[in-house]
Amino acid sequence: MSSSTAPRGSLFSGIGYYLLALISTAFFAFPIVWMTLSSLKSDVDISAYPPKWIFSPTLESFRKLFTELNAMDALINSAFIVCLATLFAMIAGTLAAYGLARFDVKNKNFIAFEVLSIRMLPPMVSVIPLFIIAKQLGIFDTPWLLIAVYTLNGLPFVVWVMRVFIQEIPQSIEEAALIDGCSRFECFWRVTLPLLLPGLAATMVIIFMFAWNEFLLASILTSSEARTLPVIAASSIKAKAISWGLGSAAGVLMSLPVVVLVLLMQKYLVRGLTLGAVKG
Amino acid sequence: MTASIESLPIASDRAQRAGERYTGMILLAPTMIIMTVVGLFPLLHSLYMSITGYRPADPDKFQGFVGLGNYADALADAQFLHSILLTLLFTVLSVGLSLTFAILLALLFNLRLRGFTVLRTIIIVPMLITPIAVGITWRIMMMPDLGVLNYVLSLAGIPPQPWAGEKASAMASMVLVDVWQWTPFMFLIIFAGLSALPKSPFEAAAIDGASPIQTFFMVTLPMLRPVIVIASLLRIVDAIRTYDTVYIITRGGPDFATDLLSVYLARVNFRFFNLGYGAALSWITLLIILTVVLIFVKYTGFMRMVNEKEAR
Repeated sequence: MSSSTAPRGSLFSGIGYYLLALISTAFFAFPIVWMTLSSLKSDVDISAYPPKWIFSPTLESFRKLFTELNAMDALINSAFIVCLATLFAMIAGTLAAYGLARFDVKNKNFIAFEVLSIRMLPPMVSVIPLFIIAKQLGIFDTPWLLIAVYTLNGLPFVVWVMRVFIQEIPQSIEEAALIDGCSRFECFWRVTLPLLLPGLAATMVIIFMFAWNEFLLASILTSSEARTLPVIAASSIKAKAISWGLGSAAGVLMSLPVVVLVLLMQKYLVRGLTLGAVKG
Repeated sequence: MTASIESLPIASDRAQRAGERYTGMILLAPTMIIMTVVGLFPLLHSLYMSITGYRPADPDKFQGFVGLGNYADALADAQFLHSILLTLLFTVLSVGLSLTFAILLALLFNLRLRGFTVLRTIIIVPMLITPIAVGITWRIMMMPDLGVLNYVLSLAGIPPQPWAGEKASAMASMVLVDVWQWTPFMFLIIFAGLSALPKSPFEAAAIDGASPIQTFFMVTLPMLRPVIVIASLLRIVDAIRTYDTVYIITRGGPDFATDLLSVYLARVNFRFFNLGYGAALSWITLLIILTVVLIFVKYTGFMRMVNEKEAR
């Protein structure tokens, strides 16, 4: 397939293709570059017109982020909430995926579709009931509420993606282990799980990303104690005005972990994002 | 759990599994419990609220059972219908455009010239950026007087644009932001699909003397269909509930030009605290999304694909 879609013989078409590729890359990269530059500008440089390309970088916006917006608390909240939710979703989801892939379960398709439907649920439907229930239970504005919600939101990815990964491991390997006297648990722990590690890592990165970037639920289900980074970042915006440097710095701070993590784990990204349906 | 060796001939895995009749259920239990408590319960609570007049901010008004009154009101709510239409327009434009760009990009990058791998990695970054950060950045860039976009346009001799600041261009601006953020997602998936295609149909087409355009429409596109449909399905679901970027950039304005469903719902719920009515609107939204998804799933065999693998 690699060479069959278009002739790449002539030098001119080659240059044309490079130009097209560079222009499209520039289009997608520019806002990110601009966000990063803005986060490093001083208040004077940032509102200069025409916009400044060359300036002396300063970390002033990042300092303000931590002193004025309490970004440290939000960072800790985000990390705590998202890591625990990811962990819980991975454990529950992988077990369920193993059950669906390897055991006879009644209404298997119905259960799988039910899990998938979580992915389709608009957060707006359940956010108000969650708010009311949490107020009554006294867990409003605690990390645990968001952990529960993000665990739920991670489940469809884990169940569907891990189910496909498990199905791809030949059942005969497990059967061999069973015959050799392994219990089902040992068989899963020692034989299947090690083979699943790449899939687990990839799935983890994806549900981490979705939980880390989530805003709507976090903004309604927290008020001060459990605020996450996106909520803090959004508070740099007022209806009429925007604190440019602060907003950009918050953007860089919260996007960086996900960008680094995902780019390290690119290999299974497609499989994970499509809930196992497309091979990457 | 531990069956003795004699009772375990290789072929009778089903019998072996029958002996573990409850293991599957036990494995599924944590997921089912989380789904019931955190997912289903709030959903039913919302369904219940949707048939009441619950609005805690107006204690004078009737709060009790109103039957399907909220739903009837919703169908007569011009603002709501406006939001539905806007959301569908936004979804069609955003998904349609990003799909088109993604296919073109995938074809281009499938030439696999030297250095394309690096560029490809750069291109997927926008989908990883927190939507709130995307909103902040584009809002700064789209400032009519000081924004860098109008500066770049002025270098090319194009007069400054109002972007999200005026009714006529606000929707287009939001579509632009969405296309910027999510074309990489479509591109990544379609590129993966394109790379996995078998070679022989293309060789056959080349032997038959098909032009590149004919090859694309008669060979590439039909073979890519499942991948395209899955990518579109996932995007459609997310586009319908777009909230973060619109909340940051326009909050539904100017003059309701970008008042997408989720923004209108947020206003009914969090500004007017008309929670019973808001719940009814959410449920209608949910039904719209479910309808779209069910049509797509049926049409593509999304479930079948996974189940076939299992029936080895």
